[in-house]
Amino acid sequence: MQRSSWLGLAFLSPALIVVFLFFLVPVVLTGFFSFTNMSTATGVKGGAYVLNASGLRALTDAGLPKSTLEQIEGAGYRVDAKGLEALALDFGKPVAEEFAKLHEGEVFSKRRDVERALKDLRSNPIRKTRDRKQAADLFKRSLMNERFDSPTAFEAALEEAGIPETDRPLITEVAYTGWVWTTDNFGFLFSLDSTWQYAKNTVIYVVFTLSFNVLFGLFLAIATFYLPAGQAAAFRAIWFLPRILPPVLYIVMWRWFTWDTGFISTVLSGFGVPPRNWMLDTEFHAWTTIVLINGFVGASMGMIVFSSAIRAIPASMLYASEVDGASRLQQIWYIILPQLRWPILFITSYQTMSLLTSFEYIYLATDGGPGGATEVWALAAFHTALNNYGGNLQYGLGATYALILVVIGLLASLAYLRLFNFRNLLVKPRIEG
Amino acid sequence: MTTFVSRLRQSTAAAVLALTASTVAGGALAKDLTITVWAGGSNDSDAYRWEAIEMAADILEKEAAINGEDLNITVESKGQFGNWQEFKQAVTLAAEAGTAPNIVVTSHLDIAPWSEAGYIVPVEEYLDLDAWPLNDIYPNLMEIAAFDDVQWGLPQDAESRPFFFWKDALKKIGYSDEDIAALPAKVEAGEYTLQDVLADAKKAVDMEAVEEGYGFYPRVSNGPDFAQFYQSFGGELIDPQSGKLVLDKKAMESFYQFFADAVEAGVTRKNHLGTDWGQWYNEVANGKAAIWHGGTWHYGRYAQEGNQDFWNTIEFSLIPAGDENGRANTITHPLVYLITDNADDEAEEIAANLVKIASEPRINTLHAIKSNHLGISKQQSNIELYANDRWADEATSRLLGHANSQPNHVNYGAYSEALFKGLEAAWTGTKTPAEAVAEVEVQMKATLGDELIVR
Repeated sequence: MQRSSWLGLAFLSPALIVVFLFFLVPVVLTGFFSFTNMSTATGVKGGAYVLNASGLRALTDAGLPKSTLEQIEGAGYRVDAKGLEALALDFGKPVAEEFAKLHEGEVFSKRRDVERALKDLRSNPIRKTRDRKQAADLFKRSLMNERFDSPTAFEAALEEAGIPETDRPLITEVAYTGWVWTTDNFGFLFSLDSTWQYAKNTVIYVVFTLSFNVLFGLFLAIATFYLPAGQAAAFRAIWFLPRILPPVLYIVMWRWFTWDTGFISTVLSGFGVPPRNWMLDTEFHAWTTIVLINGFVGASMGMIVFSSAIRAIPASMLYASEVDGASRLQQIWYIILPQLRWPILFITSYQTMSLLTSFEYIYLATDGGPGGATEVWALAAFHTALNNYGGNLQYGLGATYALILVVIGLLASLAYLRLFNFRNLLVKPRIEG
Repeated sequence: MTTFVSRLRQSTAAAVLALTASTVAGGALAKDLTITVWAGGSNDSDAYRWEAIEMAADILEKEAAINGEDLNITVESKGQFGNWQEFKQAVTLAAEAGTAPNIVVTSHLDIAPWSEAGYIVPVEEYLDLDAWPLNDIYPNLMEIAAFDDVQWGLPQDAESRPFFFWKDALKKIGYSDEDIAALPAKVEAGEYTLQDVLADAKKAVDMEAVEEGYGFYPRVSNGPDFAQFYQSFGGELIDPQSGKLVLDKKAMESFYQFFADAVEAGVTRKNHLGTDWGQWYNEVANGKAAIWHGGTWHYGRYAQEGNQDFWNTIEFSLIPAGDENGRANTITHPLVYLITDNADDEAEEIAANLVKIASEPRINTLHAIKSNHLGISKQQSNIELYANDRWADEATSRLLGHANSQPNHVNYGAYSEALFKGLEAAWTGTKTPAEAVAEVEVQMKATLGDELIVR
């Protein structure tokens, strides 16, 4: 490889690192998560093995023999020779002897009862709560509510308790608290009506916002092109504000603008229109607001790109057209628009991709409301995986939503590449060939 | 000069030595510990949720000093989270990253999933439940903070969620003062049902006592309150025998239908969900709505919103029964103190002891009265601050006896999300109540599997 090629790679490396960290890694992780049942309850890092009342119920339903179930539950806490010996060793003979005298052979169902019995001893050197709990645990003869971190430790405990070997795999499976691999997420997702609703919402969102972005961006670029330079700069700066405002502040202003007690309602109440929430009143209101909120942000970008592209058009062409008597509209239609083909293509494809995955303004403005009417696919993924009232974070299912979005994004990119013939754009100029 | 310098050197050396020795010796005895507390769903009046831990730290330090230990606890607290979703997201992700706070104040519903995931440790590993003040806490509240027979947490407060009536609005539609005073008893007896609520709300709108959409003005976001309406129509959340969650399709549909009817009749706004909470509180506190529902802590909030005359303007009762299958009810949704799994066992033990001391009746009373919640232990009724508070007294006697809690179940979060999504669809008219229930059924069956009983 030539030295200059290495230099090229070196210059590219920041971009490569960014692509790796912020695209490839998340996509791979999303793919990985989407084939699991990961949730708050399973945790992300793997699980432990624990048998509790719920687990026991599941085992009963799964038809585990009654004898095995009884073995798992065990005797609870039994004051037997083994426990007494350990008690004597840890806390002295007098304690063990008195305890044996009072309770030998007795069975307690709860540790709390053993603690009470220990507290009542006359010769009682156990003066710390935690020591007393440790002493009580010496008599535990049950597998219940004990957390084992590794399968081997759990299997060993099952073996020690004499659980029949044939029953152990099922018990281990039920006792495992961590996540498992599954493909159920995909089937589940498409069995829900709401999934199709999210898809529909996303189409509405992308199509309308995109059209607004491109058309309004074009309008601004062309309109400011014909203005004197100073005024044009001022107008562009104003239209650029939505983009540079912090999103939260921008949305707070929209909320104030549209709320029942906000600007629109206050002004219209002077004309006898009853106040209403102009953002959330109906689906139509919500969509209009969402498209405008996102549109004003997106249009400013189109405006900047289109403005620079218009300036790159040789002025002589415009002068020539004026000499030929072309009107402004004719100039726009026959000279400006044809030469904006590539910038329009770029803005359209770029914004499709970014709109598909963006949800921050919707999240802040309507949070998917009213009644899920503006819940787009990406927002549903976020709500499912990371943000809901019950704190029931379903990482696996949320990632499934996200993965489908990645696939759609890739397909859309390919379609755009083909439709607009990007290769033509990137072909080397013949003069340099 | 040289002698002076050498003496100076000697004395400096001696001083440094002495200082080092004292620091090392002191370090061997002193124990410095930082305990972090995060509280969800809290505002300024709930500050005792973490200030109680600071008070407890002070007491625990004094107890340690008497035993000859030098214990220094620094309590770092955080009570400002945007909302419940952000709080739970923060705790869950911090726990996964190993940076969870030592003590969490959260809904009791988090016990099941968080214990399963290993984020929390049971308080019963560290505390003597037979000792003061734990042996004075109401047993039913202790049970709400337990899961699968293990005492995971301690109740932090208690509350319940009443129905509220604006007295003036009722008078405008023909109620006398005596009728209004008798209303809570009629609700309790099942003589005044949700159908009467609809009728009265409609009257209030038609007779212009309130504006359209303000006849019945419910909670504006997801929450335990909506499960009450499911119970009003006879729905059960959990089957006590099998411990499985229950979807009673008929009760669920009637519950959705009630909200759809309210919208249809013009007494509730179709776009009500998502209304700003600040706006909502202000409106209900000042008589813009005829009938609404909320929580016991609203009492204080209404005063903040400018209504200093609660007793003469507002009546409260249980949530009325929906039909003959259901009952008047209310849900209590206590927050609990939970101890997170920590590499340092001593930190867990100290955190557990702090939570225990914070449950002292006198300390808990500060929270209960300041934030208008209900107490957690019996002795609080012997503390004047609590016993002389009219709201704590009347709310306890009128509501708490009929209160039940939502079940601690690993999958209850998924259940309640599905319940709310169905309600939202029926409420806004994107689905009919029957269609909404059908989707809820699909969703619940898929997420809950064997843990669901469909009736």
